[in-house]
Amino acid sequence: MAWWSRKPDSREKELSHNHTSINDSVRGNFALARLEDLVAWGRKNSIWPFNFGLSCCYVEMATSLTSKYDIARFGAEVIRGTPREADVIVISGTVFYKASPMIKLLYQQMMAPRWVIAMGSCACSDGMFDVYSVIQGVDKFLPVDVYVTGCPPRPDSLMEGLLLLQEKVGNERRPLSWVIGPQGVEQPVFPAQRELKGPKRRRIGRLTPPDYASHDLYREGHDANR
Amino acid sequence: MQTVDLALNEAIQAQAGPALLATQPTVDRIPTFWITKEKIHDLLRYVKNEIDRPYKMLYDLTGIDERGRSHREGQPDSDFTAVYHLYSFGRNAYLRFKVPLPEKRPSVPTITDLWPAADWYERETWDLVGIRFDGHPHLVRLIMPRDWEGHPLRKDHPSHGTELGLNMPDQKMMEEQEQLQFDPEEWGMKRSSDGTDFLFLNLGPHHPGTHGVLRVVLQLDGEIIIDAVPDIGFHHRAQEKVAERQTWHTYLPYTDRVDYLSGVINNMAYLSSVEQLAGIEIPLRAQVIRVMMCELYRIANHFVWLGTFSQDVGQLSPVFYTFNDRERAFYIAEAITGARMHPNWFRMGGTAQDLPIGWEDLFRDFINYLPPRLDEYEREIVKNRIFKARTKGIGRTTVDEAIEWGMTGPNLRACGLGWDFRKAHPYSGYDQFEFDIPIGKNGDSYDRATVRIEEMRQSLRIIDQCVRNMPDGPYKAIHPLATPPPKPKTMHDIETLIAHFLTVSWGPVIPPGEALGAIEASKGNNGYYLISDGSTTPYRNRIRTPSFPHMQMLPLLCRGLTVSDLIAIFGSVDFVLADVDK
Repeated sequence: MAWWSRKPDSREKELSHNHTSINDSVRGNFALARLEDLVAWGRKNSIWPFNFGLSCCYVEMATSLTSKYDIARFGAEVIRGTPREADVIVISGTVFYKASPMIKLLYQQMMAPRWVIAMGSCACSDGMFDVYSVIQGVDKFLPVDVYVTGCPPRPDSLMEGLLLLQEKVGNERRPLSWVIGPQGVEQPVFPAQRELKGPKRRRIGRLTPPDYASHDLYREGHDANR
Repeated sequence: MQTVDLALNEAIQAQAGPALLATQPTVDRIPTFWITKEKIHDLLRYVKNEIDRPYKMLYDLTGIDERGRSHREGQPDSDFTAVYHLYSFGRNAYLRFKVPLPEKRPSVPTITDLWPAADWYERETWDLVGIRFDGHPHLVRLIMPRDWEGHPLRKDHPSHGTELGLNMPDQKMMEEQEQLQFDPEEWGMKRSSDGTDFLFLNLGPHHPGTHGVLRVVLQLDGEIIIDAVPDIGFHHRAQEKVAERQTWHTYLPYTDRVDYLSGVINNMAYLSSVEQLAGIEIPLRAQVIRVMMCELYRIANHFVWLGTFSQDVGQLSPVFYTFNDRERAFYIAEAITGARMHPNWFRMGGTAQDLPIGWEDLFRDFINYLPPRLDEYEREIVKNRIFKARTKGIGRTTVDEAIEWGMTGPNLRACGLGWDFRKAHPYSGYDQFEFDIPIGKNGDSYDRATVRIEEMRQSLRIIDQCVRNMPDGPYKAIHPLATPPPKPKTMHDIETLIAHFLTVSWGPVIPPGEALGAIEASKGNNGYYLISDGSTTPYRNRIRTPSFPHMQMLPLLCRGLTVSDLIAIFGSVDFVLADVDK
């Protein structure tokens, strides 16, 4: 979708001085898009999560809704109490065998398009709980779109996961009507974040050692010692 | 550790006669008696009702699969053992009874007629260990699904999920759903009375008001709750079974996840038992650091409780404030431990590392910042008229009832009994700190709220004393079983290098024995009853969690009230499902 919004530094100045051409005002006030892209854009920026939690991770998910993290910035604060109104189900916690029939049923009650975020090690692969009462990862019975690792992941990680999901949703091709040619949803393929971020992370040489309560203190001590 | 009580020994001997098979010395010095199956009911009745300063609380009831255990010197032959833990408030002491049982159809008489609280404990023991309780009103599985095969805590039951290859195909899903269909007759409930048809409402397992995966079936007459049946086990993570394959040291991260809101307090509970077994003396600095971190996490836990509770009763904004303050607590926790919810920061013999440079300032800022906020919370949440209307007189219970049902912690104190295990059974040097035990009067949801708010102030007071009086010295004990062993020592001689290598690669070997370590966790008394048979892993790890009995009390608290009151009770009791199901 082509989207001409005014840039704060360049165009705004011209506009305020009444030097606008018709062309510019048209560009500033209209968006031209294919309907399909427009719908995808709308979907992408209003992914409503289902009010659903399993264990520890849910507390961090709830934390992401509160003011310090404020997931509302990304249009995902509208927690829905019923699966029929929700777009995404965040499997936040351990996938217990006894609870799994309900998890699956709730997913099935969600209306398409619907997405799944596996939050935390347990939902991704079962992490440290390789035990008799736990299904080893929610992808055993649900299609997962984004895996957020951590035990539990910080709220920031969940929000990163949400942004990745948004990227995916925005790039999905979902025909709005009958089409000629291949049917169904075309999903974009993204590389694993490990491949993208790994090289940069491996280059990081200087970390704050645990002997310091903050990075600033470490730097102070470091500079004083030199 | 308890002191030896000779008069008790005599009284038990006189009452039991030949039914007393043995007295077992244990590391924690809790008097431990082996009683025959035939006499156990009588003896429990005796110590509950007749002995002076009676043991009024059924602290815990569980079973042990003894079939693979070595180092059972002096104990009667037993394939399965039923273990009863009692607690006396008059004596401030625990008591332990054990009943030896055969491999084939192990069973003991029920004690639900003595303690109603035994109901769930017996069902849990039947479910997980496979000991039958004769005469139990409704002995069905509590934790595992009804169609589960085998008893998970038996040694011959698979431990790993990958071994079982669990999955949830559509067919299975329908079957499991079918099984969860509620049948009132099964629970002795009537479908109608006096021309009124009752409504059976299924609340959960995914309901925003239940604070997790909990299911409660309500028998309703209109809006009034006639009875309730909590259905748990949706959050069973097999913490007790996991311990049997982790080393003593590598089990620590699992404890964090038992009560996942209280972080290091769980480490503390587990270590209070392990360190008794290992005989480690904790250096002073480590003790004070531990106390300080425990109190910090107690505050963080109470913030979650306060925010969600106020949201439950209809106040939508406080949760944003309390979670922000929780972030401030986590900022400190992160600077010190490196993690937020699951710090896994205590170690056998001390802590993982020393406090970082600059820690005092973090705490001082917090101590200065918080009191006005707490006043504000009290003013705006607790003294709010609507809050009072929703919580006063709701979910009332008396001290006697609370003890009868095994209630501990702030919930018990809200009834008016100032019983805090930090004072009653001081551990980690809590007796050296000045703090008050806030108590309530009515034992209702409102008092449970005021008690916890005051408790946060007291925790802050303890932290303040820690910051002002932090002793110098090592943060970990110099002891062969302290983990991980101090590295510098290994660079001097080969013996310590070998010991270091073995402790790190295999894990420490804890001397054989049994110990119960119980502490005042954020929700009540949290105890770890550990059995070592002299290897690198515990033979049995029994976790007594405070939320389990609290959850069992739920029907008692909500009968005769409305559904919206039930939500106010849920919020006030402060449980997490991981702490209920383990």
